[in-house]
Amino acid sequence: MLYRRAGIRHTRYQDERQLWPLPFDRYLVTAIAVILVAAPFVVSPLYLSSYLLPWIIWSTAALGLNFLMGTAGQIHLGYGAVMAIGAYTSVHLVLSGIPFEIAMVAGGLMSSVIGIAFGAAALRVKGLYLAMATLAMQYIVDFVIMHFPAISGGSLASIAVPRVSFLGIPVVGDIRTYFVALFVCVIVTLFMLNVKRSSFGRALAAVREKDYAAEVIGVSTFKYKLLAFWTSSFIGGVVGAVLAVCYLRSVSPDQFHLELSIQLVAMVIVGGLGSVLGSFFGAALILFAPIILNNAIGTFATNFGIDISSDLRAHVPLMLYGALIIGFLIWEPLGLAKIYNNFRNYLLVWPFRHAQR
Amino acid sequence: MEVSRRTLLTGAAAAALASSLKIHVVSAQEKVIRFSMPMDFTKIYTFVTAEYSQGQRDYISLINGRGGINGYKIAPDISDHGNDLPRAIEAFERAKSEGAVLIDPLSTPVARALVPRALTDQINMVTAFSGRSDAADGTVFPYVFPLSPNYWTQAALLVDYFRQKDGDLKGKKICFVHIDTPFGKEPLPILEKLSQMLGYELQTFPYTPPGNDQSAIWPQVRRARPDWVVFWGAGVGQTVALTEAIRNGLPMDRLSSSVWLSQSDMDVVGADQAKGVLKFDPCVSGRSPKVIQDILEEVVKPGKGAGPEDKVGTNYYNYGVMIASIIIEGVRKAFEIAPDGPITGPWLNAGLVSIKDFTADGFIPPTTITKEDHQGGGRGRISRWDGQNFVPETDWFSAYQDVVWEEIRKYSEEFAKTGK
Repeated sequence: MLYRRAGIRHTRYQDERQLWPLPFDRYLVTAIAVILVAAPFVVSPLYLSSYLLPWIIWSTAALGLNFLMGTAGQIHLGYGAVMAIGAYTSVHLVLSGIPFEIAMVAGGLMSSVIGIAFGAAALRVKGLYLAMATLAMQYIVDFVIMHFPAISGGSLASIAVPRVSFLGIPVVGDIRTYFVALFVCVIVTLFMLNVKRSSFGRALAAVREKDYAAEVIGVSTFKYKLLAFWTSSFIGGVVGAVLAVCYLRSVSPDQFHLELSIQLVAMVIVGGLGSVLGSFFGAALILFAPIILNNAIGTFATNFGIDISSDLRAHVPLMLYGALIIGFLIWEPLGLAKIYNNFRNYLLVWPFRHAQR
Repeated sequence: MEVSRRTLLTGAAAAALASSLKIHVVSAQEKVIRFSMPMDFTKIYTFVTAEYSQGQRDYISLINGRGGINGYKIAPDISDHGNDLPRAIEAFERAKSEGAVLIDPLSTPVARALVPRALTDQINMVTAFSGRSDAADGTVFPYVFPLSPNYWTQAALLVDYFRQKDGDLKGKKICFVHIDTPFGKEPLPILEKLSQMLGYELQTFPYTPPGNDQSAIWPQVRRARPDWVVFWGAGVGQTVALTEAIRNGLPMDRLSSSVWLSQSDMDVVGADQAKGVLKFDPCVSGRSPKVIQDILEEVVKPGKGAGPEDKVGTNYYNYGVMIASIIIEGVRKAFEIAPDGPITGPWLNAGLVSIKDFTADGFIPPTTITKEDHQGGGRGRISRWDGQNFVPETDWFSAYQDVVWEEIRKYSEEFAKTGK
């Protein structure tokens, strides 16, 4: 049902290789694209600026981290620091009068240069040891930002982001900032969708599955591990710049602490390692579950007159949030993307379940 | 019950749908003034939020119970932002869309991040004992209100108290033990400046956040043989600092802290061992003031209190009452200026900046807030722990405000120019 495969005959290689061979998938993507573009004019400013915008930005960041964790199989616990480097670099460059477009790319480059230095640890160590090395990056970057007033912005350690313009359009108001974030998100998404089909993506997959086996068949693990860190850090830096300019509008060191890194790792894992769709699902769950649960408990407490203490009222959402994450991981360890996939696979052959491969 | 994937998914979907219902704290009455009070109840500021918020809510209940102001009820919207920026920004935007005229996030990172938004959206943001110190400059930050002596003033007042005690600080040594974060380093410029002015020697000892291990620092402090020690932190760092100071045998009556020290901390450290330790007090502590008595009589007794009764009158509870009373005074003034509203951010702003010599019946030092000075005059007093209570050592006083304001203007000018 819906996802009809009957009657699709590829006569050219391009048709076979396209991203979405099924017409329904294409309609779905088009529909979502239309919704995302129309959203600012339909939804209220509250939902635009505090739900859609952070969701788009965090999803982009999760995509960048998913590239490293899912596609290349390297763990990174310091992605928040990578974003911090991008954010601070671009904000300082914008302050010194450089256009935002260049500052954003420069932020990405700065992140990738520093990211690759720490990523070099991946050449020697794997798994938990790499996790420790990247964790060290998080703390070192935090420390450096905090202890150099030239970076953090003096003893008050906060820098307000000046007004910028992107490709000639001033980034002010909710709608324009949203489109800037969406623009970056679309580019990163397209890259992520396509990279798996390129020789680069295949080499990374080989490295992910077994690095010395990859080396044996002629894939340079040295080169591709570093390239993976380079690319992922570049995306992280650019997203950091977008985050600072479009969403936070004022950067201070505590915005990029370990919590952000852990949050992003959680998004990638809950969403689904290596899945583009999963990054969006994961970002939505991790970002909004606390807010939604908090509001739900609030509604519950006030509308039904249940007398719960303020301590409990503040902590119940946290407990539910934890339970939700554990629940999802127990019942669907492959992430939220897998839930959608199961659903799709079910419909793909419905009602002939026996035909499922 | 077997939990299948389907039930899990249906449950999650149902929960998501249910939560999209609107929250109505006060039913859709026409005459309400909305305050948004998203605070950190669960992450870092937990040591203060519960008591502070309880004080605020009890004071607002007191005012509402007396019929509100000018027939208007105050509707505080309390929520948890968990010191997490996306959640805090969501709360801010929600407040904006619901027509709130004031927001009190009680968190330094959140307050700093919300400054640009508060300034553009013209929503009054209260940053009591948090946020940027230079926000006291109302000409640069018209919608940011510390409403309380900032950390620079607190440091200056402590130094002046030391001077009063010793007569002269020339050649004396002050050790400053602080958490190694922007918040902990904040008083440094003032302490350094005063050290040049008064001729004392300043030694600083940073400890790594969150400060639950300071055992390496305090022996060094003892070896330095200081005349006075100031310890600057918040939450767990404070009790650890005090415990270490006691263990190292530093004289308690020459040890002082900022506003962040309370009865609850003393229970952790040991009420008797800490006897003599000093702190900065922005308002009267305990249950004796008339405001607290009124709250006990009219709010807590009928069972309308926002939290446990034994917290009423503790330090942080009283801070909450203090800030709420100043805000409500601002509302009163706003009605005097424009009785018919409309109830907006600028309307309340006009009221807040015309508060003059407000004392809340002797509960707080005379507080005057003007368009230029959002700090409220920078008065406070030094209190000493006597084993059961913090008893005032001095009367309300103010000191070195010229030095403090020089610093405030230096940073606010920088903000106006470059946004730093």
